[in-house]
Amino acid sequence: MLLSSVIIVLREILEASLIISLLLVFSRLEGLKIHWIFAALVLGITGAIAYAINFARISEWFEYTGQEITNAGIQTAIFLLLTAFVVLIRRRPGVNALLFLAMSSVVALSLTHEGSEILIYMSGLVGNPELAMALLLGAALGTGIGISIGALFYFGLLAIPRKGSLVISTLLLALFGGNMLSQATVLLIQADYLSSGQPLWDTSALLSEGSLVGELLYALIGYEASPYPLQVAAYSGGLVLLLGLTLVGRRTPEPFTNPGN
Amino acid sequence: MKYIVPRLILLLLFAVPLSARSGPPVITLEIRDHLFFPDTIEIPANQKVKLLVINRDDTAEEFESFELNREKIIPGGAKAIIFIGPLAPGEYPFFGEFFPKTAQGKVIAR
Repeated sequence: MLLSSVIIVLREILEASLIISLLLVFSRLEGLKIHWIFAALVLGITGAIAYAINFARISEWFEYTGQEITNAGIQTAIFLLLTAFVVLIRRRPGVNALLFLAMSSVVALSLTHEGSEILIYMSGLVGNPELAMALLLGAALGTGIGISIGALFYFGLLAIPRKGSLVISTLLLALFGGNMLSQATVLLIQADYLSSGQPLWDTSALLSEGSLVGELLYALIGYEASPYPLQVAAYSGGLVLLLGLTLVGRRTPEPFTNPGN
Repeated sequence: MKYIVPRLILLLLFAVPLSARSGPPVITLEIRDHLFFPDTIEIPANQKVKLLVINRDDTAEEFESFELNREKIIPGGAKAIIFIGPLAPGEYPFFGEFFPKTAQGKVIAR
């Protein structure tokens, strides 16, 4: 019980933790205040509680596919907000209010989705006195590890030179966005709104999704051992769009010396 | 758009029985005491199947399968529908993520 609760909570926390770190890193690199995170955390935790309370009812919507529709909606919204974010970040400081709104909405939505799953998992078990202690301890450990990994990203990315940090953060953000679209696609396949086709490839022998590394990569960049064609298309489309907008949106080309030749 | 809620209800009332009649084959799976019944499901290969999962426990469970690319929470005492396939012939394990020690099963596509 202890170990499985650590893993379940960690898996859910990691994704939110990563996006929080990335957006905080962008804020720091661009000289923005980071006060928006507090509103985002309050909104996200409130959202998670509200979603968890109404989860059973929402799940029954659309012929018992309400869960897929809602979560796919959340993930698509996160992707669109990230798209707005990469466009807006190049048009500062006139659009700071919009930037804060986009960043806090991303975090609030991510926490609503991931947090609700933790609450649903825990609510069924916390009433059982034999399990409650191990459950709470496991949840605390999972949360702690998840936040620590986020903090590691945050401090690590701020410790390296600004340019490298921007490149890595942008790449991670684009991977995160692609992952959101990929997950939304697989949910719509699961609910039979999209057709699946056969998986494009299978790397489960190389790296199983059930292994620790596989789980970590799943949470961080959406690693899937046997993805569907539509999933791969959605992932790469989202990735390319976010990267492309970042490149195109560069205000003025900075003086650039090519060290190679 | 007036009367959107009554319209949706009407739509659901008619749509549910219709789709139940014409959709892919339905296979029922129950969760009791954190176990799947049956724990082995045989389905035709290369055909879409509708899994109806009924959770008889008070606790929520998450139906999860890496091989099937499926993941869905089923609240305590609730029902859920999960579409799987079309699958190539083979075995596809699934488990309950919230109680992985006991809740184990597999889909066999022939």
